[in-house]
Amino acid sequence: MARYLLFQLYAPLAAWGDVAVGESRPSATRPGRSALIGLLGAALGIRRDDEAGQDGLAKGYRFAVRELAQGSLLRDYHTAQVPSRAALKKAPAYTRRDELAVEVNTILSARDYRCDGYWQVAVEATGDSPPHDLEQLAEALGRPRFNLYLGRKACPPALPLQPQIVEADSLQAAFAQGDFTGPEGFVAELGLIAKGHGLEQEGGSLYWEAGMEAGISARQTYTRRDHPRTRFRWQFDERQEHHGTLSTEE
Amino acid sequence: MNRFLQLHLLTSYPPSNLNRDDLGRPKTAMMGGETRLRVSSQSLKRAWRTSDTFVEALQGHVGTRTKEMGNRTAKLLTDTGVKEKQAREWARAIAEQFGKLKKAKDDGSEEGLHIEQLAHFGPEEEAGVDALCKALAERQSAPEAEELKLLRGDQQAADIALFGRMLAAAPRFNVEAAAQVAHAITVHKVAVEDDFFTAVDDLNNGEEDMGAGHMGETEFGAGLFYLYVCIDRELLVKNLQGDRELANKTLAALVESAATVSPTGKQNSFASRARASYLLAETGNQQPRSLSVAFLESIRGKTMLKEAIERLTDARDKMDRVYGSCSDKDAVLNAYTGEGSLADVIACATE
Repeated sequence: MARYLLFQLYAPLAAWGDVAVGESRPSATRPGRSALIGLLGAALGIRRDDEAGQDGLAKGYRFAVRELAQGSLLRDYHTAQVPSRAALKKAPAYTRRDELAVEVNTILSARDYRCDGYWQVAVEATGDSPPHDLEQLAEALGRPRFNLYLGRKACPPALPLQPQIVEADSLQAAFAQGDFTGPEGFVAELGLIAKGHGLEQEGGSLYWEAGMEAGISARQTYTRRDHPRTRFRWQFDERQEHHGTLSTEE
Repeated sequence: MNRFLQLHLLTSYPPSNLNRDDLGRPKTAMMGGETRLRVSSQSLKRAWRTSDTFVEALQGHVGTRTKEMGNRTAKLLTDTGVKEKQAREWARAIAEQFGKLKKAKDDGSEEGLHIEQLAHFGPEEEAGVDALCKALAERQSAPEAEELKLLRGDQQAADIALFGRMLAAAPRFNVEAAAQVAHAITVHKVAVEDDFFTAVDDLNNGEEDMGAGHMGETEFGAGLFYLYVCIDRELLVKNLQGDRELANKTLAALVESAATVSPTGKQNSFASRARASYLLAETGNQQPRSLSVAFLESIRGKTMLKEAIERLTDARDKMDRVYGSCSDKDAVLNAYTGEGSLADVIACATE
């Protein structure tokens, strides 16, 4: 038996940052390790510059994601005006209003989002003494210390995360126990899952990392570069992510 | 103090093109499987933080709007016995803190002391300038860089504390934004429309050539937008070095801007300025959540605003029932029924 912390993620717009260089800021279809570590860190109030705290989270937990709707792709054309260095030297800019009062240049980026994606997440402690036990994580998600968001700050959660702890033999059994519909079937009523995009299986896709007991066999294994090596230097290591399909007869 | 302040706004924009993509089309998003109009988070924040409303609300609505603070400062200095040349030099250094100087070199004229654009001076800033002038006259020496920087203290602090700052080259100056602003999305399905337009050449008498002098196409859309903002009030106070009074002024300025300031995109063509028709503020320590699910199924009725308000309150009640209470206190401004006021909401936000 293993213990899992389960929670749900939904927002009209979400962005699960992938390897990004320069102008193009792509999004994966599902949250990566780094996104989930960041989410837990925000809930606990662990600052980005708290290297030890961040490292503890990165090493202390394994994550699995059940993707019920990956959402449709939105590519946002994003422009930002920036004053030239020369202009800044001439006049001090203390506020954004000041910055825009001088001659400005425009920088571009293309930012990807997933519209109406819906995911459930399972967190498992790696060892016997994780930095925070699962109850503490659940408590923090319910009363977070910092703003939570789905990948980008402009993507606030649009449903409570409803953290809950379950004991099960496998991830498949754990997700089957998860209660995200609420007493009145609120999530089901909203049609979030029914309106999901491009889903072949009703039970959804399961993505899990090495060392977790999925309860199903892997159909594919992906390599993702989303395991934070150092938060401060913004360096990431590769890891293996297994993928399988959950059946509806759970 | 409750940590989180959440704002839910419903604002109706007539035909407009507030925020466009690389093709000049209004931005859109898919929600509930249908196309909605969208105004990006970034566009909204820019409009608010560069607005006069934001600056004025921060300074309590009283203040002076002028290009001529330099002239006033120079006069103040000469009146207290500073020589003309020095007074002008120092006045220019002070004026420069509030805007770019009109003339790169002082030519001795009135305009030599002007700044390019009108700047807003709050009572505290004016007092700051006066105090600095007095000190300079007494010691008969030029203002120092640090003294000049202090003149813009509050405005600078509020802007950065609320919206953050990121300098990749110097991470130690980074400030995490206390405000989280979601993209605004319409509560209904929208088709972006084309306006084919022609312009007549007034001097073309039609002898050689008939027809329009110019033809073009503009895309636009109209909609009732749902907008969600969440502010971490404790982080705001922390970003402001514990100054709760300034934090409250900042919150009031944000609430007022969010409710009354429109993005500036294509305002000359569409004059689509709008104010929020409905504003719900909530405070609490519980995990904040947007109420966008209220509009997952798009609204199709003719009483759109009425229905949107009902849907929003309904979704909030249901969520509270299902997940447990999501906030502790709230306040409402409802311009559909004429209930509540901006003052009520600001009181709730700054409590």
